[in-house]
Amino acid sequence: MNKLTKKVVVVGGGIAGWLTAGRLAAKHKSNTEQGLTVVLVESPNISAIGVGEGTWPTMRSTLIALGISETDFIRECDASFKQGAKFAKWVDGSEDDFYYHPLVLPQGFSQGDLAAHWLARQGQTGAKSFSEDVCFQESVCENGLAPKTIRTPEFAAVANYAYHLDSVKFSVFLQKHCTEKLGVTHIIDNVTGVNSAPNGDISSVSTENNADVTGDLFVDCTGFSSLLLGKHYQVPFKSCSDILFIDTALAVQVPYDEVDSPIASHTVSTGQEAGWIWDIGLQHRRGVGYVYSSKYSSEAQAREVLAKYVGDKFSSLTVRKIPIVSGHREKMWQNNCVAVGLSAGFLEPLEASALMMVELSAQMISEQLPQSRDIMDIAAKRFNETFLYRWEKIIDFLKLHYILSKRTDNAFWIDNRDAQSIPESLKEAMALWQYRAPADHDFTSNNEVFPAASYQYILYGMGFKSDYSQNTYALDNIDFAQHQFAQNKKLTDKAVSTLPKNRELINKIIEFGFNQI
Amino acid sequence: MASLVAVDNKKHLNTKVDLNKVERHGANLALIPVVLAEFIHLAVQYPIVLTKNGDTGQFVFSAMLGFEENENLFWQQAQWQGLYVPLQIRRQPFFVEMSDEKHHNELAVCLNTDSPAVSEETGQALFDEKGDESSYFKSVKANLTQLLLGEKENKVLIATLTSMALIKPMSIDITFINQSATKLAGLYTIDEVKLATLNNEQILSLHQSGLLSAIHTMIISLGQIHTLIDLKNKSLS
Repeated sequence: MNKLTKKVVVVGGGIAGWLTAGRLAAKHKSNTEQGLTVVLVESPNISAIGVGEGTWPTMRSTLIALGISETDFIRECDASFKQGAKFAKWVDGSEDDFYYHPLVLPQGFSQGDLAAHWLARQGQTGAKSFSEDVCFQESVCENGLAPKTIRTPEFAAVANYAYHLDSVKFSVFLQKHCTEKLGVTHIIDNVTGVNSAPNGDISSVSTENNADVTGDLFVDCTGFSSLLLGKHYQVPFKSCSDILFIDTALAVQVPYDEVDSPIASHTVSTGQEAGWIWDIGLQHRRGVGYVYSSKYSSEAQAREVLAKYVGDKFSSLTVRKIPIVSGHREKMWQNNCVAVGLSAGFLEPLEASALMMVELSAQMISEQLPQSRDIMDIAAKRFNETFLYRWEKIIDFLKLHYILSKRTDNAFWIDNRDAQSIPESLKEAMALWQYRAPADHDFTSNNEVFPAASYQYILYGMGFKSDYSQNTYALDNIDFAQHQFAQNKKLTDKAVSTLPKNRELINKIIEFGFNQI
Repeated sequence: MASLVAVDNKKHLNTKVDLNKVERHGANLALIPVVLAEFIHLAVQYPIVLTKNGDTGQFVFSAMLGFEENENLFWQQAQWQGLYVPLQIRRQPFFVEMSDEKHHNELAVCLNTDSPAVSEETGQALFDEKGDESSYFKSVKANLTQLLLGEKENKVLIATLTSMALIKPMSIDITFINQSATKLAGLYTIDEVKLATLNNEQILSLHQSGLLSAIHTMIISLGQIHTLIDLKNKSLS
């Protein structure tokens, strides 16, 4: 039996559900007669988790693919610009301990190994941090500047950027766009059961007040409950709590002091005794949260840490406690069911990977939507290979931040460096990088998530030294290096003197909007 | 910053404006904002382009007078050498400003007292000895009114061009007679390919709203880039 894929049922709303439904509907013309039917069933009484307020630059191409205007998105989702992350107190915990993981590649990255030259300059007077010396974006962030001007067309950048957004507002915004423009059918009802076909596929889901919702492909966006993939198919969950120790988040929404307070244009992640605090600037408030390991801190201690970070306002704020189970399902696609979002897996939000994984999943499902049931198992196999690889790579990259720390103030940091807790793949990479910088040939899969540049920013930002003493010829092209360092200085001066403050640009977008060209 | 003062027939009874000096306000402008009503006059000598306002990012129509910042190739021997002087220059040294709260719908005419054209000695008086407006001042007010109305028409045209996606960035590389080269950036014009693909209904609506001829005037005016290159080459040789 070769059943055609004519109808996709997305179970669960939230950003994962709406982004997947939207990408499917946009690509497969659900607003036309011949197009794919996309139905989203959402429970009326489950509220969105509302974590995941930081994105990757991929969100720009996602919004473009959905046909969304950047101006509308920024106005309606309380969104602002994000130009990477500032990691404070991760290396030794001192007051001036910080480094950046910006979104712009190191200067001249595709032309030569600037990292080797940067390492050679260390110890000289006036030597700057890696991110400052090779990338102009650090200065843009330190000065609170936006990544573009009001004259830059929408989605175009002067400095590569992503967003900070209000995830609840974004979800509502996507829902409106998907149902009004893209032809997604919205059913608000509780799913009460999953009905199987003889071949083990899901034939339909039962609902409280509507008829059974049949479909050819089911997308599980039911969050942590993982209703279809986890509960129905019993696909095991692969925990990585032996590698990443964070298991709890305490989150607050912090109002600004003034209506016009500056908005940071980067995420700030500050190391604490048993974890770290995220700090994300939206238009009307900051999102702040302490993610920690309950093995190394009591909730009372954690609250104290968060209170100290937030300051006087803390006592008037509502603290939300969110459990974090780090890990992912052993596969994401089983039969005719694929999980996207928290139902597939979750990791601490250190590098804002949650929404990025939703975007990549939604993209791959829509791009490679199997036309019929007989080829669906092939699509499923490839999807599983791709995403298992991605989960592993993200786990490695997050762990990298911990193994390079020199903090000794709490067993949390010391235990994180225990060889037992470090994946073999990361150990191997670290062995290679003892003698050279991470390079593109270390990352040869089409499914890579973090490029070599990101590894360089973390390694050298945290004081790692690659030893080039056995191949000093890597430093022969000194003219190249001097030119690139000078070029970076020039770009830094230009960016700092021409870019507006982040808040100023947001205000202009609200008043005037971007042009499309 | 210019110091703007509301015009008043007591304070400015003896104020005069030297018309020979008014055009100096445009001496160092490479781009001058223009309104739709003057397109036809401008197209005879100047390229009419779109640029983005630095503060708002919104499109504005401009006549192009030079290739570099502060370069007006039509300003030669301390005089404007063009056949037509844009309204934005001719209205100098006057401005309109929304007046205070209680007369919030009224527009006040203001004078830039720092202008080199303003004195009590030489030029056209604003008022006669009885304090009545001179014919010169009346013509100034007519110019200002035309500019204000023009801005509204500009907005309609820009909204139409934007909604039909008829604007495209202009990219021109020019090499002058002395082999120096320039790359024009930040300028936009009509996308003729897109214009040619509009359907009958869209063309008819452009025609009926009177915007189609303005669009064509803009396209034709681009030929005046050669006039500018010629002027530039003359200044270099």
